[in-house]
Amino acid sequence: MSINTINTRILSTEFEYFEPSSVEEAVNLLGRYKEQSAVLSGGTDLLVRIKQKRIEPRYLVNIKRIDALRRIEKTPELLRIGAAVSLLEIEQYDFVRTNLEALHEAVSSIGSMQIRNMATLGGNISRASPAGDSPPPLLVLGARVNLRETSGTKSIPLEEFFRSPGRTIMKPSELFINLEIPNPPKESGTAFLKVARTGMDLAKVNAASMIMVEDNVVQSCRVALGGVAPTPIRVKKVEELLIGEKPTDARFADAAKTASDEVRPIASSHSHKRSTAQYRINVSGVLVKRTLQLARGRSLERK
Amino acid sequence: MKMARIITFTINGKARKEPVEANTLLVNLIRERLTLTGTKYACGIGECGACTVLINGKPALSCLTLAAEADGKDVVTIEGLNDKISTVLRETFLEEGAVQCGFCTPGFLVMSSYLLKEKPKPTEDEVKKYVKGNLCRCTGYIGVIRAIMKASEKINN
Amino acid sequence: MKNHSFVGKRVPRLFSQGLVLGVEQFSADVSLPHMLHGRILRSPHAHARIVRIDTSEAEKTGAITLTCRDVPQNKFNPRLVSTPETTYKDWTVLTDEPVFLGEPVAAVAAETEQEAQRALELIKVEYDVLGSVFETVTSLDPRSSAVHKRILLDKKELAVENNTACKLEFNEGNVDQGFGEADIILERNYKTNRRYHTQLETKTAVVKPEPNGGVTIWSTTQTIHNSRILIHQVFRIPMHKINVKKVALGGSFGSSIHTNIVTLIAVALAQKAGRPVKISLTREEDMRDHASFSMNFRIKAGAKRDGTLTAGELEMIMDIGSHQVQAYALLGTVFGWWASYYKWRNLRYKGTAVYTNKVPSCAMRGYGNPQTSWIVETFMDELAEILGMDPLDLKQKNYVGIGDVFWGQGPTVKSLIRSCGVEEMFTKGAQMIGWKNRHQAGKDAGPLKRGIGLSRGFHTSSAGSPISGHIVDFSGATVKINQDGTVDVVTALMDHGGGTMQAVAKIVAEELQVPLENVGVVQADAQTTVYDVCTHASRGIYAGGGAALKAARQAKERLIQFAAKILEVNPDALKIKPDQTLGQGVVYIEALPEKRITVGEVAEYARNKNWGSIAATESYRPTAGPPHFTTFFVEVEVDTETGKVKPIRIVAGADIGTVVNPELAEGQIYGGFAMGWGMALFEDTPYDLATGDLMNRGMMTDYKIATPLDILPIDDFKVFFADTYEPTGPWGAKGIGEGSYNPVAGAIANAIYNAIGIRFYELPITPERITEALSKKEPLEG
Repeated sequence: MSINTINTRILSTEFEYFEPSSVEEAVNLLGRYKEQSAVLSGGTDLLVRIKQKRIEPRYLVNIKRIDALRRIEKTPELLRIGAAVSLLEIEQYDFVRTNLEALHEAVSSIGSMQIRNMATLGGNISRASPAGDSPPPLLVLGARVNLRETSGTKSIPLEEFFRSPGRTIMKPSELFINLEIPNPPKESGTAFLKVARTGMDLAKVNAASMIMVEDNVVQSCRVALGGVAPTPIRVKKVEELLIGEKPTDARFADAAKTASDEVRPIASSHSHKRSTAQYRINVSGVLVKRTLQLARGRSLERK
Repeated sequence: MKMARIITFTINGKARKEPVEANTLLVNLIRERLTLTGTKYACGIGECGACTVLINGKPALSCLTLAAEADGKDVVTIEGLNDKISTVLRETFLEEGAVQCGFCTPGFLVMSSYLLKEKPKPTEDEVKKYVKGNLCRCTGYIGVIRAIMKASEKINN
Repeated sequence: MKNHSFVGKRVPRLFSQGLVLGVEQFSADVSLPHMLHGRILRSPHAHARIVRIDTSEAEKTGAITLTCRDVPQNKFNPRLVSTPETTYKDWTVLTDEPVFLGEPVAAVAAETEQEAQRALELIKVEYDVLGSVFETVTSLDPRSSAVHKRILLDKKELAVENNTACKLEFNEGNVDQGFGEADIILERNYKTNRRYHTQLETKTAVVKPEPNGGVTIWSTTQTIHNSRILIHQVFRIPMHKINVKKVALGGSFGSSIHTNIVTLIAVALAQKAGRPVKISLTREEDMRDHASFSMNFRIKAGAKRDGTLTAGELEMIMDIGSHQVQAYALLGTVFGWWASYYKWRNLRYKGTAVYTNKVPSCAMRGYGNPQTSWIVETFMDELAEILGMDPLDLKQKNYVGIGDVFWGQGPTVKSLIRSCGVEEMFTKGAQMIGWKNRHQAGKDAGPLKRGIGLSRGFHTSSAGSPISGHIVDFSGATVKINQDGTVDVVTALMDHGGGTMQAVAKIVAEELQVPLENVGVVQADAQTTVYDVCTHASRGIYAGGGAALKAARQAKERLIQFAAKILEVNPDALKIKPDQTLGQGVVYIEALPEKRITVGEVAEYARNKNWGSIAATESYRPTAGPPHFTTFFVEVEVDTETGKVKPIRIVAGADIGTVVNPELAEGQIYGGFAMGWGMALFEDTPYDLATGDLMNRGMMTDYKIATPLDILPIDDFKVFFADTYEPTGPWGAKGIGEGSYNPVAGAIANAIYNAIGIRFYELPITPERITEALSKKEPLEG
């Protein structure tokens, strides 16, 4: 980032701009321009990165005028969220508010209302930020990502989607079409927490938990953390420790300690350190414990 | 290789046709071409809310919106707020110490007029959530929140 | 509190319709025909010499370019508040030896900002990278590279030794004897953060070259007159050809007491181009333009067992960054603040200002007082604990208050304190927060611990004094009465959000006894106003309002004389009162109802009879800089597992004499608290030593300030005003702008101590530092 090439008041980078009206059109453009192209959905991340000269795409493909990508729909088995659905729409969607609490809490915590009105889930996930707020709840909910390129479609679990900080398994010619979230287990509860410097901030660490308690035994449990590894991660060791056990605070605390022991926060790739590795390690355990407690409460309330 | 295109939109209720480059930002179109300088640049990266406008009635950051994206849409800036809600908000902002240097005021007024349309009787927490993306370095927010709550009361009585 | 007609009444904010309609012009909103847009080329190195600079490619695009060869080479100091003999100069308009990353080395102007950006990127510069220093300890080492080798003090050349920009020492009494008499001696070291003002409006200048060779300037400034003088000094344009216009200012907090370099560069570009030029800094440029002073302190005090202080010693080393914006004056004010907190009885002070290759530091709200307040108020808390005393009692016993000598802004600015509401604020504040019932650290069960902290603060109201020292402080105003009874007030005083103009209007209305809505404050400029030094030092109401009052009194004299002539009565018997029905001030005699005439009628009569204008212009030098005091009782909750701190309740008291604008004064307290919250807990601008740049690269993503979600429930923030009257202030008023901020960090730090039993000696007190300290401490009870 040379200081004399950055000017956040304007976009000095020059590019060609497309507004395809169909998925096919969009996919063809990406197939043609590949690495030189970038998908514009919300713009709240892409345009910032262009302004900061982190990327300089020659072709911008705006997908927000494609109706098929702007749909959010509930089927009996799952919730399907199009790549261009805004975070605000997701936040205000009834089923998300009432049944997918962790997702609701995570999405509500992102940026400001203005940003959430513009930003999209597709964009947020594709950004693959290690401390992104939407991945942890989507990981515990077992979400799947659907991609499309000119040669065909692909469906992969979100767990396999992130490769490294800022990188997904997506090819430059692939378009994120939608995300599918299967219904969470009946009578389960989910929760999301994050720690940041102020009320409007990126997370230092964030966590999401899903737990289903029946007959005072943990029947299913999923835990995910962000900000403590190169990508958002499921913490399977914690899950294994808890399934089949009593859902007590003491058990949760022990499991949380395991989480702390497992994580390896990366040295920040930009040198503005938002936090320290030690802090993230310690607090990841605290957030795991607290989200488990909250999720347990919600699971019990559903009975 | 830029592409000049003509966009058609309404600005504060008036129809407009403007040629723009692909990389023209909406905030600059508004401030320079349309000479509506109430919308401010203060950070350029979405952190401060000073550039907030309404696009099709919903709040957006004009510093992170391409002018081209406004094609076919209705854009409303601080200068175009003229309904009962915004009139009352302007009064209460001046009464409750919500305006000090005034630089952040347009962004707050746009956001709170959207808030009171969506939620005519917001709680204090709801107000804070709605305006959390608007930074102010002068008022400490107390006066702003009071002004919004007072406006809500006035409008509903 | 006396009862006035207008002063003290709550009114919807005056002169602010433009702000809420979005039509008020700030500097960046100004647009002129044929205007060019400018961009500044900045050094990518923290210290370098330019070997070669080639602007030819940029010029081929049609852009106008500037390098340091195109601008005056004379050194200056952009802040003219200090007198010449104490003014250290190490700035130039553009430089060929940049001493901080981001320093302007060239500039361009083009038809659009896009074109200017393109032209900027076509300038080729070859640098010889030189050594740089980023810590005061390293910087002071004789083996380290020099930031500056030679600078000017007034007109004399000075060699800089060991990167020491300037020094100040002061002694009073016998400190060693004082320590000898002490039963307890406490010594502590503190380190503060390097904050950024985060004023919402970035620094901007629009300059129009005039046909007579002069310039007209719209810029972000707290002082139109000092800007005018500086432009004259640097560019040698005669002052009567320089005009600096008042425009709305989007917050400043001290960052435009000095003339911002963008203004000087814009003048040079406009003159070269022969066309108006606008340069508005981006946020990332603004963050590399100015910052606060970070300070290292060693403080020592002696006390008797009963809490009487016997001696005090303060050593302060401050990092001023790469250029002086009156660091010397700050050495004096820090001493003044420290000396004025408590009766140390014997004093020894040593202050050193050190250059580093960082963004130049300038005054930030409080001018050294936030830092000093933080250390003194937490130090006294600790001393109280050692003595087994309640901190409130220790502070009450020793504070500098009514009848005492107040050192104000340093050794040359002393006056006697004539109004002080500290007792009242301590008593009332303690009662409201439940001070006596606050529990011991850690008593709460669970990971959330609450604590209450107290801090007492103050600031001067102007830098007035019975004698003249090193600080220029006087104001002036013109008051004119129009033929319809309305009033024009013309003042150079700037309002950067505090409501200064509203205060001036009320003060004048109060004197003339005309309806408040009849008083207008003119959006004036340097050519049409008499001198005011600057809106800073919390002097807007006290000095600026004082000048308006003085002018209003003179205008009133003339009005009365004319009225007496018209009514054929004795002038001494005439009074004025506002009449709401007539919408006018009415001049009258109490016992004689037939002898009355409106202010407008007098002015109109005088016009028709060719008697002249009813107007007066006065200068005013305040002979005191009376302290306004504040007390903050703050309750916080510390989450000991995450280290996050939350505000729970605040009780703030302010002694500002007569409260001229109640809702705006409250706003200063609310705003001061939010700013202090950031100072205490998360604001800082650390440097990447590998590159010499800010770690946050100038991005607001990583300079956080308080957001609406960070503040407490609004009804839990209580503000009250002490009932005091300042005899030297206009209608008894003092300032509030800085006293509302200074003690906040100390209150929060003391509250954290009460919550978790840990003191912090370095700012900011981040969750990382809190959790680390907790992990090293024995577990708390509960």
